[in-house]
Amino acid sequence: MDAVKEALREGRPVALFPDGEGVVLVAEVGRDVRVFHLGEGRRFPSLAAEFPAMDWWERALWERGYTPEGHPNPKPLRRHDLPFAFRAFKELHEVPVGPVHAGIIEPGHFRFSVLGERIVNLEIRLGYQHRGLLALLPGKGPEAALLLVERAGSEPLAHALAFAQAWEEALGRKAPPRAHALRRAALELERAFGHLGHLAGLFTDIGYAYGSTQVGRIRALLQGELDRLTGHRYGRNFLRVGGVWREGRPDLSALALYREELARLLPRLLKHPQVLDRMRYVGVVRRVEAEALGFVGPTARASGVARDLRQDDPAYLSFQPVVRQGGDVLARAQVYAEETLQALDYALHFLTHLPEGPLAQDLPPGDGEAMARVEAGRGEVFWFVRVAGGKVALAEGVDPSFKNWRALELAVRGEGLPDFPLCNKSFDLSYAGNDL
Amino acid sequence: MSLMQTLRIGRLARSLEDLLRVPDHAFGYPLLRPEGLTEEAQEALLGLCPSGAFFREGRTFGLDLARCVGCGRCALARPEAVGEMKRLEVAVTRKEDLVQRVDLERGTFLDPGPPPPPRPELALPTLAFREVSAGDTGLADSEVALAGNPFNDMGRFGFSVVASPRHADALLVTGPVSRNMAEALRRTYEAVPEPKGVVAVGNEAISGGVFAGSPEVVGGVDRVVPVDVYVPGDPPRPGAILFGLLLLAGRVRQRLVGGVLR
Ligand code: SF4
Repeated sequence: MDAVKEALREGRPVALFPDGEGVVLVAEVGRDVRVFHLGEGRRFPSLAAEFPAMDWWERALWERGYTPEGHPNPKPLRRHDLPFAFRAFKELHEVPVGPVHAGIIEPGHFRFSVLGERIVNLEIRLGYQHRGLLALLPGKGPEAALLLVERAGSEPLAHALAFAQAWEEALGRKAPPRAHALRRAALELERAFGHLGHLAGLFTDIGYAYGSTQVGRIRALLQGELDRLTGHRYGRNFLRVGGVWREGRPDLSALALYREELARLLPRLLKHPQVLDRMRYVGVVRRVEAEALGFVGPTARASGVARDLRQDDPAYLSFQPVVRQGGDVLARAQVYAEETLQALDYALHFLTHLPEGPLAQDLPPGDGEAMARVEAGRGEVFWFVRVAGGKVALAEGVDPSFKNWRALELAVRGEGLPDFPLCNKSFDLSYAGNDL
Repeated sequence: MSLMQTLRIGRLARSLEDLLRVPDHAFGYPLLRPEGLTEEAQEALLGLCPSGAFFREGRTFGLDLARCVGCGRCALARPEAVGEMKRLEVAVTRKEDLVQRVDLERGTFLDPGPPPPPRPELALPTLAFREVSAGDTGLADSEVALAGNPFNDMGRFGFSVVASPRHADALLVTGPVSRNMAEALRRTYEAVPEPKGVVAVGNEAISGGVFAGSPEVVGGVDRVVPVDVYVPGDPPRPGAILFGLLLLAGRVRQRLVGGVLR
């Protein structure tokens, strides 16, 4: 137990999932991954009181029938057939929002406790998107499993990549070098596309139509190139276990042009007085909070946590994570802007340095287990897979959104209620990814 | 500077004809070729499709477009048995029209007869939509949002997305309808004033898609509220969504009958 606590004190949880009667905890310390097996007989010791980062993880297991012994307040996370009580504040007014929202957006419920216009507390209740995805995976072959995995969050390429890598590693194989480069190029285009979506949404939310139209325009053009590369507007049906299915021809000079245009446009937009006025010092997540709750991706990096899984990938030459210290909406927007340019640089690099060779190798049906992590646009995507006879015996995935939703709860504390949409957009998390 | 740049970029909106075409580099929708459906080809197709879109019932062989994820592997592996439809005019008012059935004895497509006409009370010059995501992964939602961007510009047809169901003429629903969203969807539908329509956007909204059979989903919008127009795709491209909205408004003729463009 001491080793577990030490790992959580110095690092953060990566995944917590059931395996038979016990529970597996994966934690990252520095850049190392440590794996612990906890509990037996569907009971395991709760760590949530000491490590708040464990709270949602343990609740997610609790509703799957595993008891975190000593959890201060177990209540459901995704299941709506179990009783749920919001945290109550007698003296405060409550504002319920959702599950159906005013925009074109996934469903979720937000319960604000407000004093006048000020948000004192926000409690997020999700689970509306719960489709039982993980339970559908066992027994599936690689292709049918990938169909589900590509629907585990709004970043299909990152999920498919982590899952395929886990599967390949479980069988002790590797995708051919050309497939490796194509996968990474597609992943970087997905990142740029997603980040520009966050930025366009932020500009929309502050009523800056010029910004959102310009960013939206380049984003739509960029999506065309992702479509050309993968054959799908979001990159589905592109990856396979063992490589990739196809290789399209994106227009490299167009990509370079969009990058140029964005390099001129984005810094200018983010210095606009209207943008500074609405985004600076709003929705602050402090570094201690980000570390204590184990946030990942741009959310963590905008609060000064210099961690990006691409640091560990030798394919990314001289990689430097984009880090900001502010922790506010503006800092997150700056991280999105800079990472977009960085992503396009790497995409162009991979596409112009494609190694020769086949697009895939056929994997024999085998046995094994492995886990893999990929830095998606929103942060760390995790997949664990145990393969038996070429079929999934056990698979567990975690979308970065699951790790970051509570950043929104923290960011809006003390802000005015009307700033909520802006704060929400600055994280732009996946509801489906959380609810799996 | 910014004004100059805007002027330089010029007009973005693409013509409807352009929007309704599947680009060359992408796979559209599969189309069975009755003459190539040998016993052996049928077996191969049943085995290779990752989403289980092909089926055989007695002496008919079929393909359900509402299950197909559009990977294109069938047409690649068995070009003699499966071709491709490169058009996005695939929205239909009845679900049978999404299924291709080939009579293996005669080697012809079965024709389910003319589709029902669109509802005249929704043939309005403008239509306001309320979008409800009910278990969608976020991509069909994204395509609905992009149908309003400057390239696709749904506004030119008099379509808009509004914030409240009480201001809407119709719902656009995405996702297989997770159990936890069924009640919210029902209540959102009730809040829309009469006359009202519903468009199910994407395979998951039509039949549950890859989530069909999960105990956590209802498995299709029409199991919760009545649906007027189905738009197949995974997710459907914005052009297909726009065609579905035009079909709801009675401004275009349904072209997909019995799974085949006619
Ligand atoms: S395109 Fe793919 S999913 Fe669709 S029918 Fe062919 S093989 Fe199946």
